[in-house]
Amino acid sequence: MRSMALAHIRPRAAVAALPLAIPVALAAGGLLVPLAYLALRAFEADLATVEELVLRRRNAELLRNTLLLAAALVVTTTAIALPLAMLTVRTDLPARRLFDVLLTLPLAIPGYVGAFVILAATGPGGLYPLPRPSGFWGALIVLTLITYPYQYLSLRAALLGVDPALEESARSLGRGRLAAFLSVTLPQLRPALLGGGLLVALHAIADFGTVSLLRYETYSFAIYLQYSAAFDRTYAAWLALLLVALTALLLAGDWLLLRRLRLARTGTGAPRRRRPTRLGRWEPVAVAAAALPPLVAVVLPLVALLDLASRFPAGHAAGLREAFGNSVTAAGAAAAMSVAVALPIAFTAARARLPGAQAVERLAYVGYAVPPLAFALAWVFFTLRAAPALYGSLPLLVFALSLHVLSEAMGPVRAAVRQASPRLEESARTLGAGPVKTFVRVTLPIVWRGAAAGGALAFIGAVKELPITLILAPLDFSTLATRMFSYTQDAMFAEAAPFALAIVGLSACFVGVLLWTERTFSS
Amino acid sequence: MIVTRQLRRFGLVAVGLALFAAVAACGDDGEPTPTPQPTSPAATATQGAATPEPTPTVGGTLVVYAGRGQNLVEPLVQQFEKDTGIDVELKFGSDAQMLATLQEEGDRSPADVFWANTAGALGRASSLGLLAPLDDELLSLPAAFVPDSRSWLPVTMRLRVLAYHPDRLKPEQLPKSILDLPRFARENGLQGRIGWTPTYSSFQDMLAGIIAVHGEEAARQWLEEMKALQPKAYPSNPAMLEAMRAGEIDLASTNHYYVVRFQRAGYSIAMTQFEQGDPGNLALVTGAGILKTAKNVPAARAFLQYLLSEKAQQYFVGNIGEYPLIEEVVPDPRLLPLEQAVRQGPSIQLEQLPLERALQLLREAGLN
Repeated sequence: MRSMALAHIRPRAAVAALPLAIPVALAAGGLLVPLAYLALRAFEADLATVEELVLRRRNAELLRNTLLLAAALVVTTTAIALPLAMLTVRTDLPARRLFDVLLTLPLAIPGYVGAFVILAATGPGGLYPLPRPSGFWGALIVLTLITYPYQYLSLRAALLGVDPALEESARSLGRGRLAAFLSVTLPQLRPALLGGGLLVALHAIADFGTVSLLRYETYSFAIYLQYSAAFDRTYAAWLALLLVALTALLLAGDWLLLRRLRLARTGTGAPRRRRPTRLGRWEPVAVAAAALPPLVAVVLPLVALLDLASRFPAGHAAGLREAFGNSVTAAGAAAAMSVAVALPIAFTAARARLPGAQAVERLAYVGYAVPPLAFALAWVFFTLRAAPALYGSLPLLVFALSLHVLSEAMGPVRAAVRQASPRLEESARTLGAGPVKTFVRVTLPIVWRGAAAGGALAFIGAVKELPITLILAPLDFSTLATRMFSYTQDAMFAEAAPFALAIVGLSACFVGVLLWTERTFSS
Repeated sequence: MIVTRQLRRFGLVAVGLALFAAVAACGDDGEPTPTPQPTSPAATATQGAATPEPTPTVGGTLVVYAGRGQNLVEPLVQQFEKDTGIDVELKFGSDAQMLATLQEEGDRSPADVFWANTAGALGRASSLGLLAPLDDELLSLPAAFVPDSRSWLPVTMRLRVLAYHPDRLKPEQLPKSILDLPRFARENGLQGRIGWTPTYSSFQDMLAGIIAVHGEEAARQWLEEMKALQPKAYPSNPAMLEAMRAGEIDLASTNHYYVVRFQRAGYSIAMTQFEQGDPGNLALVTGAGILKTAKNVPAARAFLQYLLSEKAQQYFVGNIGEYPLIEEVVPDPRLLPLEQAVRQGPSIQLEQLPLERALQLLREAGLN
C-alpha cells in the first residue's frame, strides 16, 4: 500500500526535496568550514610541542572539571525546570503568562555580566550579605541560574504537545496520578529532556566567560587562554579539536538514547486540550517557587548592576540607539535563518533513516562546540579566499551567527518535529494535497510552537554573542553586547548599564512575543 | 522516503563542495607576504590627479583595527574626523583578537592601522611582518620607548603598581622589589591572600621583564614561590580589584589606571611602587602601527601623528589617567612627572621583552 502511494507521488517528491535540501546542504557545508579550518591550523604545529600541550596532566584535570560541571548542571537545571514547566503548563497558576516570561528571562543575562555583577555585589562591603561564589559550586550555581531556561523552554514546548488522552487512559486503567505521569508522560518528554539537557551540557562545555570569573578552570577556558593570552592559533586549534571530539562523544550518547524513538499519535482524532490541575491551597507556595528563580537570576543582578553604575562616575554612553538597531537586525535575521535551517534538518533527521541526515543534525551541535573565536577566524580565512566580496558584510555576520546558534534552535524544533506524525502528512498527500500545502496546512501548525521557541532561543543567544560579532561584523557596526563588553572591560559600569538593560529588555520583549503567538495558536 | 534519497544527494554535493573549497583555500598561503606596498601612497591619495608631481592630499577613508577600548577610541576618532575630514572606519576587539584577525586576513586585510593596548601585541605584529616601517619624522614625536624595529609608534604609557588594602597593610612595610614579594607574603602570613592575573597581557609582560632583568632561573623560582603561596587567579584586573574590596585578597600587582578608577569610585584600595628600575614597575606602552596592507598611507600617517598631538595626549591623561609621551601636556596631579615615571621601570627595549619565554614558563607552571 505505502510503496504504491509513494510511487504515485515520485515526480513531486523530487521537487519537494529542494526546499529541504538547500538549507540542509548550506548548514552542512557551513558547519564543516570551521572544522576544516581547525584541522588546517592543527597540522601546522610542530609535533613535540603538540605532545607537550595535548598530553600534559593538566588537560586531564581540565577535562575532569569540564565533565563534572556539565553533568552536575544537567541535573540541577532539570530539577528546577521540570517542576516549573509542570506548574506553568498543567496547573491553574495565576499570571501564568507573566511567569512564562519571567522564567525565561535569565537567558537574557549574558553569563559574563551576570557573574561579574554578582561577584561585585557579594562578600564584605557588597550590596548583598552573601558569600562570594567561587570554584565548582560557584560556577554550578551561577550557570544553573543562567541556563535552566533552556531546559524549561524545551520541556514546556513538549508538555504543551503531549496528548492528555494517553495519561487519562492510564488513570482510567487504575494508575495513580504519579504513576501515570512517570509511566506515560515522562517517556514522552524524553526527546525534550535530551534536547534541553544536551544544550545545557554544551553550554557548560563551551562557556569560558563565567567559569573564568568564578575561578573554575575548564577546557574552554584553557582554549580561550591560548587564543587570547598566548597569541597561539596552532595549539589552540588542537585543544579546540579535542573539545569537538568530546562534544561528538556526547552527541553519540544522545543519539543512542534517541534512536527509534517515535512518539507521535497514531490513533484517530485530534488531541484535546488538557484541563489544568487545580492548585488550591498550594497556590501561594507554587507562586513563590515560580518567582524565586527569576528573582535570583534577573532582579538581584540588575539591582546590583544599577548599584554599581551609581557608584562609578557616569561618562558619556554613546550609540545606544544605533547599537539597539544593529542588535535587532543581526540577531533577528540570524534567528530567522537558524529556524529556517533547523526545520528541514530536523525533518530529514526524524523521518529518514539515513546516517547522513542524522549527521547534519549532530553537526549543528558541533558548531556550537567550536570555540567562537576559532569559528569567527575560520570564516575570516574562508570568506577572503572563497568570496572576498562578502567579507565584512552583514550577510556574512548573520550567516555565521545563525550557524553558531543553530543548536539553540535545534532542541525545541527537534522535539516538535518528533511529535508531528508522518501519518498525518501521508494522509494529506494521498488526499491530493501538494507537498507545500501539506507542510503549511498539516505540519506547520504542529511544529509552530517548537519553531517559535527555537527562534526565541536563537535570538537571545545571538543578541548576547561577542567574539563572532566583534570579528565578523562590518566596520563601524556596534551591537549592544559589544558596547556593553567594552565598557565593563574598562570598569565603566555606569556607561555599561543602559546597554545591559537594553539587552534584557529586548530579550524580554521577544519572549513576550513568542508566548503571545503561542496563545493565538492554541486557543 | 524518496525525498530523503534526493536529500542525501544534495547534501553530499554541498558537503563535497564546501570541503573542496576549504582544501583549495589551504593551498593558498594564508600568511602575509612581506612584499612592499602594492600601491604608492601618492597614487591612492590623489585619485585621478593628472599633475606629474602630485602633492599627497590627505583624505578618503581610513580603516583602524583597535585593540583599545571602544569608549576610549571613539571620542578621539570623532575629533580626528572633524579636524582632518578623513573618514575613519573602526573594528574593535582585544589585542589578541585583532592580531589573530590580521593574521587570518593576511595580505587581503582591509586594515590600514593597528592601534594596540600593549607593546607585546605590537612587537608580535612587527615580528610577523605585518607592520610597515615608520619614518623618522613620526618616530621623533614620542619622548621615549621608540622600538628598535621602528615599525610602530609609542602613544601612551601605563605603569605596573602594587595594589594593597590600606586597612590591612602599611605602605612602609611593603617589599622594595617584586622578587621579594613571596618572602614578604610568607613572613606576614599572606598565604592565599595575594591576587594575580597570570593570563593577562600586562602580567605576562612583567614576567618577561623579570626574565630580562634577573634571568630565566630567577623568574622560574619567583613563579614557583608565588605558586606556593596559593595566589588567587583572576581573568581581569577589575575582577581582581573587586575581590580586594570584598576582602578576598590583600595584595595584587596590577596597572595603575585601574586603581585610579576604583579610587574615584570610592573603593578603599591603595597603590605603591617598588624601587626605581624594578621590573615590578614595568612601563606598559600602548602604540599604533601602519599595516603593510594599508591602502591609504597618508591618512594612516596623519592618524598616528594626531595620536601624539597635544590635543590627543591631553585626552589620554584627562579621561583615562594614562601617562602622555610628549612634554607639552598638563600633568595629572595623581600621576608622577613624566620624566620620573619613565625612569620608574627597568630600562629595557620593550620589543626585546622575552615574551615567548615568559609564556613558556607559565605553561610549565601550569598557569596558562
